[in-house]
This record gives sequence, C-alpha cells and structure tokens, in this order.
Amino acid sequence: MLTAEKIVAIDRLRTGYSSGSNEIIILDELHATAFKGELIAVIGKNGAGKSTLLRTIIGLQTALDGKIFHEGKDILEYSRLELARKVGLISTETVRATNMNVYDLVALGRYPYTNWTGRIDMDNHIRILEAIQDAGMTAFSSRFISELSDGERQRAMIARILAQDTGLMVMDEPTAFLDIGSKFEIFHLLHNLAKSTGKTIIFSTHDLQMAISQADKIWLLKDKGLVEGAPEDLMIQGEFDHIFDSSPARYNSDQGTFTFISEEHGSIYVEGEGILRHWTEKTLNRIGFAVSREKTDRYIIVPSGNYKNWQLINSQVIHEFTSLYDLAAGVLAISQSSI
Amino acid sequence: MSTRAFISQDLTLPSPGKQYLIFIGLFFLTILFFFLDLFLGSVSLNAADIWHALFSGGNGQLEIILFKFRLPKALTALLVGIGLSLSGLQMQTIFRNPLAGPDVLGITSGASLGVAFVILGFSVSISPETLQGFGNWILVISSWAGAGAIMIVILIIASRIKDIMTILILGIMLSSGISALVILMQYFSSESLLKSYVIWTMGSLGNLTSDQLMVLMISVSVGIILSLVSSKMLNALLLGENYAVSIGLNVKFARVVVFSCTSILAGSVTAFCGPIGFIGIAVPHMARILFRTSDHKILIPGTILIGGSVMLLSDIIAQLPGSEKVLPLNAVTSLIGIPIVIWVIMRNRKYSGIY
Repeated sequence: MLTAEKIVAIDRLRTGYSSGSNEIIILDELHATAFKGELIAVIGKNGAGKSTLLRTIIGLQTALDGKIFHEGKDILEYSRLELARKVGLISTETVRATNMNVYDLVALGRYPYTNWTGRIDMDNHIRILEAIQDAGMTAFSSRFISELSDGERQRAMIARILAQDTGLMVMDEPTAFLDIGSKFEIFHLLHNLAKSTGKTIIFSTHDLQMAISQADKIWLLKDKGLVEGAPEDLMIQGEFDHIFDSSPARYNSDQGTFTFISEEHGSIYVEGEGILRHWTEKTLNRIGFAVSREKTDRYIIVPSGNYKNWQLINSQVIHEFTSLYDLAAGVLAISQSSI
Repeated sequence: MSTRAFISQDLTLPSPGKQYLIFIGLFFLTILFFFLDLFLGSVSLNAADIWHALFSGGNGQLEIILFKFRLPKALTALLVGIGLSLSGLQMQTIFRNPLAGPDVLGITSGASLGVAFVILGFSVSISPETLQGFGNWILVISSWAGAGAIMIVILIIASRIKDIMTILILGIMLSSGISALVILMQYFSSESLLKSYVIWTMGSLGNLTSDQLMVLMISVSVGIILSLVSSKMLNALLLGENYAVSIGLNVKFARVVVFSCTSILAGSVTAFCGPIGFIGIAVPHMARILFRTSDHKILIPGTILIGGSVMLLSDIIAQLPGSEKVLPLNAVTSLIGIPIVIWVIMRNRKYSGIY
C-alpha cells in the first residue's frame, strides 16, 4: 500500500448544503484516502450523508470547507471535461431513454473523448466493445435499455462507466433494487474490476455483510464523521457495534454476521454433529434459545445414521419431529407450558 | 490500439445503411409534397404550367399564382414544419418528457404574448401584414423573448417537480394565465389593433410578405445550425442532468444553447404564422418510430425532413384541392398530431414519471 498511487485524498472536508448564510452541515472534518485498485464501501445509516459525500467527491456539489484532491490536484482546478476523464458516476437514478440501445448508452461514456459532433471512430468503437465485454453485456449490445432487467441495466451502466475510462468510479448504491442473484453478480463484477483493471471504486451500500466480505476498505459514516479502515480493523475496534444503536439487530464481532435480538427463552443442549447440528443451532437461535455447552435436562438429539427424526427429550419424555419447523414449534410449546 | 480478442464480434463500426435509405426516402417525399403543394389548390396547376411559368418570363395569372402565392406558401410550410418539429424534439429531450412541445408547455402562448405586446401595445396601427423591414425583427424578437421567458419558468417548475403529468397540467395553467393577460390587453386596445391580432391567432401560412419570409428563413436556418451543433449535448442530456455532468457536459451552457434555439424556432414561426398546434410534439415521435434510435445526430435531420413533409401535407389537405374552400390549418395539424400524442400517452402509461 505504501507504494500505491493515491487516487483521492480528502482533507478536512465539510459537506452539506448552504442556502444564503445558513449552512446545513451533514459531515464535518473528514479525512480519507483512496489508493489505486481499491474497492471502498461507504457505509452509514440512512441520512448519514453517503450520497452527499459521493456527490461532493464527483463535483456535483461543492464542499462547504476543506479539500478534495483527485490524483494530487485540487478538484476545483479541474474543468468539467477534465474531471470527467478522472472520475465517473453511477447514481441511483435510472436512465429510461426510449429507443436507446446498450451500445448507444455505453458510447455516451466516450463523451469526454469525442469531438464536438460526438463521432465514434475506430479507437472509440473498440473501447466501447471492450467495456461492454468487461461488463458481460456483449450479448445485449443491440438491446434497448428499456427492455433490460434491473440487473442487466446496472451492468450496462457499469459498461458505460468503464468506457469513460476513469481511474475512479463512484457508485451510489449500485445494488439497491436488485434481486439477490444480481446483487452477488454486481459485487463480484466490481471486485474483479478493481483487481484486474486497477480501477478505484467507491460505492455506498446498505449491505454490510457483502461490504465486509468484498471491500478492501470501509468508510464508515457516523456522528457527522468518517472512520476509515479495513473491514476487519473496524470490527476489532468495535466500530460496527453501535451503528445499530436503536435497531433490533446486533453485530457479532467474532463471526462477522448480524443477528436479530429476539426474546430470550433460555438455553438448551444439542447432541449431534455436522450440518444438521449447525442448522438446528441456527433454528434455536432464531426462536430465542442459546445453545448450552452443558447437558440440560431438556435437550435435543439431532438425526444421525439411520435415525431420521429430531428428538426432544423433556423430563425423560421423548418427542419426535420430522422437520426443524416442527421442532421449533415443539420447543416453544414445551418451554411456554413449563413456565 | 488494443489487441484484445472479442467473442464473436466483428470490429466494423455500426453502419447506418438502413437509416440512409430512410433518409433518401424522406428526402424525395419532402420534394414530392413540395411540388404537390405548388400544383394543388383552388386552381390546379400541372407540370407544363409550372415549366411555362418558370421559363416564359411572362407576367400572367399563372405566374402570379405561382410566385406570389403558391411558392411563398410552400416555402413557409416547409420552414414552419421544420421549426416547430425541431423545437419539439429539443424540448422533449431537455425536459426528458415525451409530451413536451412548444404548444403543450405554453411556449407558443409565451410567443403570442410577445406578439400581443407588439401588435396591441403600439398605439400606431401595425399588424404582421403591414410590418416592414426592421419592424419584422421587432415582432420576431419580442416573440422570442416571450417564448424564452416561458421556457425558463417551465424549467424552474421542472427542476422541482419530476412528474410529467403535473408539469403538463402546470403548462396548461401557464398557457391559460397568459391567454388571460392577452385578453386583458385586447380589452384595452383599439378595434383595428384587435382585428389584426385576432386574424393573426387563427394561424396561416399564406400571409407572409417576402421580407417576413426572409426573416423566417434566416431564423429557421440559425435554429437548424444550432440544433446540429448541440446534437452531442442533447445525447448527453438523455441520461439526465447528473449523468450528463458526470460525463463532462457543461449543463448551463447546453441549456443556454438549446433554450435559445427552441425559442428562436418556435418564436419566429409563431410570430408570422400564429400558434400552430401538435406538429412540434408529434413529429419527433414519428422520427423515433421510423429510425428506432435515440441518437440526435440521426433524429435531428430525420425530424427536419418529416416536419417539413408533414407540414406540406397538412397545407395540401387544408387547401381541399379542387374546391374553393380552405380548411383552418390548425384543425388539420391537430387531426394529424393528436392520434400520435394519444399513442405516446398510452405507451408511457407504465412509467409516467420518467422519460
């Protein structure tokens, strides 16, 4: 990292809106850096200022105070056209132009490089085809964007930003509105692009788990400030513990997962091994039971060998269940009747 | 140059072969309608008559009909069709609204207000028919100013409200408000001024003096050049403002160019021919249907050719060839334009909030 090229440097940045003499400060005293090839996830609650920060980085909004440097040069010293060659944007807006095919959309990414007529010559054409291929959209090249699914349209937008050939790509919630399959595809694509092409990608997301597993660095927005670090560093520092202050979810620093805080019913011992034991424990956690390490007088035997049923032993009486669904209902019924 | 291999793709540039054919077809259609517009009318002429009129150098009835009436009217129709359609195309793109058009959003009303100021505001009796030389330019410029002012108001509204239908309703409100202002001005003006204004509002292609035709020709030419120059910017604006900025467009500059162009086109046409409806909104959609593209480098010339020929056709129909009667032009253009507008509304029902 020490030798890597610094793409963005944010210094004492203050973002927000000003109307007349009134300043509405959303984020203040921000310091952050992005290096070449890094995939950076911007995380924070709704209203924490993710979009404002991204808009300020790309120059759609001016900073109230402080500085942003793109490749060592102050953003204010760039012309609009020069900046368009350094940083590209995917925002939450969908493009719904009629009669526009994927090729035309991606061709608009070449805008900062074509002459005043916007003519696409061979060099531009090849770059457009490359971008379409890198985004996995070659088969869709002549399809109208109004006929694409949400996931395909987002890939087309990524092809467009690739054609723009910028060192930095800023994306505001690129996976919002996508189904789980497309969400994984897009994250995978972004991760690969950052690694294979050396592009720096700054994206905001609500999907913490995905961000933690894929991003090189997290910019965590909270209390009008920004905390920067590798996902694991922030986890060790306990930074994620408090982003859900008031919500019914809790972050498990040891596992890197989130669980919902539900009513606690006590603990129960589970006997058995392997994947069935794993999912039995998950089921018990979900309905509010901790898994005890010591044998309790009420316990569960997971199916093993020839035995296909779950057994719940309660004061020497054995109840049998054919599914975890039934087991969950049985455990809850017994624990409530015994109170 | 890159040396990467592409999966099943040849590297030839996308060829607009089929689109060239459509352009050639449209070009000949426009010429055909232009000559039909010369031939047909209350007195039908044939090719021999035209030939005779052109080369005999005589000064008979035939020459008068052709050079004093038919030719200026056909030229005016061509220019009016081009002007209104181009301004409609640009408005649809800049407002990202398929139902935008000079008449729908109140731009023509704005131009009417400008004209009303000139015709009704001066105490001397002048009308579009009696204006000479420099006066024509005053009329046109005030029409531009009126159109431009309304464009700016609509833009301010559109920056706050994203819903297409709401903007259209506000556009209609705006038109009604302006009409009310014009009615007030009419109320306080003299009878002769009033008469010349009312005749103007009926819309006509045939009342232009040669001075006025010249002014219209210059204005529409400037509009065509500005549109062609701004085609790259218009393409960027299809993405929406934020994306357009992010790929390097200077949005303020683009707006100034496109707004001036639209105001010049819609303003000058309205100044001389009165408010003519539905051409501006319908023709750009005809071009989109025909060329199946969103690229303004193709849509602009396409709209020019279709706009010219549709307006010539409207004029031919309005003349009711072979009869003494003439239909009001506005009725003809509405009947041609409205089915297309309805089709666009039906097709866009799914997402009325976005273009």
